[in-house]
Amino acid sequence: MNQGLATVIGMTIAYAASFLGLILAWRSYKKHHSQEEEKP
Amino acid sequence: MNVTFTLLDWLWVALFLLLMIGSGVLFYRLGKRSESDFFLAGRGLPWWLPASSVYATHTATDTPMWITGVIYQHGMAGIWYTFFSAWAAISSFVSTRIFRRSLAYTQAEWNVVRFTGLGSELLRGWMAGWQFFMNMFVLGWVGIAMGKVCEFLFGWPTWIGLISFSLVCAIYVLAAGYWGVVMADFQQGIIAFLVIMIVSFWGIFVAGGPTGIIDKLAALDMMERINPFAFTGWWSGSFPAAWFVTMLIIAVLGGFGMGTSIDWYVEAQRIQSAKSVRDASYSIWWGTLLGLVRNSVWAVSILAFFVLFPGMTETADYEMGWFRLGFDYLPAGMLGFFFAAILAIHLSTISSHLNLGALYATRDLYQHYVNPKADEKKLVQVGRISTVILLLGSFFYGLMMEDITSWLIFALWIMAAGIWLPNILQVIWWRFNAWGYLSAWIANLGFSWLVVWILPELGVIPELLDYQQFWLLMLLGALVFIPVTYLTKPESMDHLVHYYVMSRPIGWWGPVRREAERRGLITPAGDLAGLAAELSRPDDAKRK
Repeated sequence: MNQGLATVIGMTIAYAASFLGLILAWRSYKKHHSQEEEKP
Repeated sequence: MNVTFTLLDWLWVALFLLLMIGSGVLFYRLGKRSESDFFLAGRGLPWWLPASSVYATHTATDTPMWITGVIYQHGMAGIWYTFFSAWAAISSFVSTRIFRRSLAYTQAEWNVVRFTGLGSELLRGWMAGWQFFMNMFVLGWVGIAMGKVCEFLFGWPTWIGLISFSLVCAIYVLAAGYWGVVMADFQQGIIAFLVIMIVSFWGIFVAGGPTGIIDKLAALDMMERINPFAFTGWWSGSFPAAWFVTMLIIAVLGGFGMGTSIDWYVEAQRIQSAKSVRDASYSIWWGTLLGLVRNSVWAVSILAFFVLFPGMTETADYEMGWFRLGFDYLPAGMLGFFFAAILAIHLSTISSHLNLGALYATRDLYQHYVNPKADEKKLVQVGRISTVILLLGSFFYGLMMEDITSWLIFALWIMAAGIWLPNILQVIWWRFNAWGYLSAWIANLGFSWLVVWILPELGVIPELLDYQQFWLLMLLGALVFIPVTYLTKPESMDHLVHYYVMSRPIGWWGPVRREAERRGLITPAGDLAGLAAELSRPDDAKRK
């Protein structure tokens, strides 16, 4: 595998891991936020 | 070179590995008690244990290769590359204390202590994901360095060195968590420090001592190699003075921030494992001092290697120089002891990153976002599963990275350049908010690709030197995060006052400090007042 392609693959995994964390955070925040709004 | 080991040599290696696995067995019961034990040793360690862990973790298999590379290439001027770690001299008394007071398990968690709302949560998730990857990356990178050492010594294929010793390390990390890591680090730190001194001074002695080295450099007409300020000019060449000044600024001002050095994330775990703010400060200061002493002795021994083997041009040849001093010149029977020390160097780094990556996965991703009601047993179990995932991922990265060391520059160095200033501002400026910090991270993803790879490739800009990349990325980042900060609301004053009273940061915190004073939480002198002061006093003082 050439150096450029390997770097792209490796860094793509890094970004994917970070965005996965971001999405988890977003979902969790929205879930808790909507639960708070539903409380009487 | 192929080294031949005697039975005594292999005995040293076997004894050392048994000692390390024994750490896992001995501390197994402590490690499984709770999440706090598995990842922070219950926050009860005296300063010298995390200090030895700081030193041992930052002494990796690739460290002597890296230091040998810069000293062989630049002479004593190369020592400034290792001066990066001096950020800790400032941090020990500034950001270390602030971070310890926050009680955050990780730097990702610190984001929700310092900031608030959706922005802080996104930052936490983002950073946890990034750090999980980064630890896997470092594990692969250090692992493949061990693979290369074993290939160099025994002629083994690189994957054997990469996988076999990491597997041994995983035994005590899985069993005892951070208790196993820190107790093994203590032993590994002592062994590594002693052997580094023995091998380095042995090499210096073989080269004729300091006088002999200087005489030989004079004979080679290379006396500039002992001048630490022998740069290649102000602005150009392989090591310009501008790069030296940039490194000094990064190190010294970086000590006021959190995350300005890749080492910070490892240090953060050690800071929180110390039993008090003072112990946390001492641990970072002493651990780093040991590292700087080690680097200095290493540097002189590499000069010795240079006069013994001058004129090497291939990096792959000269970066093994320090190892050659040991394996070429130590007497028979000592080779196994030297290899055991190399294993100590290797395992201490692997164990720390296995446990640290698992901490982000468990505390920030699983517990905070997936299963907030998980009990302690479940969290320890998730910690162990995360450790195994990291281990397997590191094998994948290690095997990929065999030919692509430029990743190191890109992922560790450039990804830090654009967020160096935000990492300081988040600590010292009350108005800096979560959206400003998050925008700096996201913007830097794009800018770093453009500045380092894409624009030079397209011929839009020339290939930039390191210091040029750093300042350009910092400027481009500031053009994004400063407007974003001012165009979005500051964090709520209630949250900022809570953070201020808890962490007592330094810098531009005037409005928050005045509000805390108005609420009677701190005195005009900056000391805690009322109930806050009572709660912060040590237990024995309260009893009196």
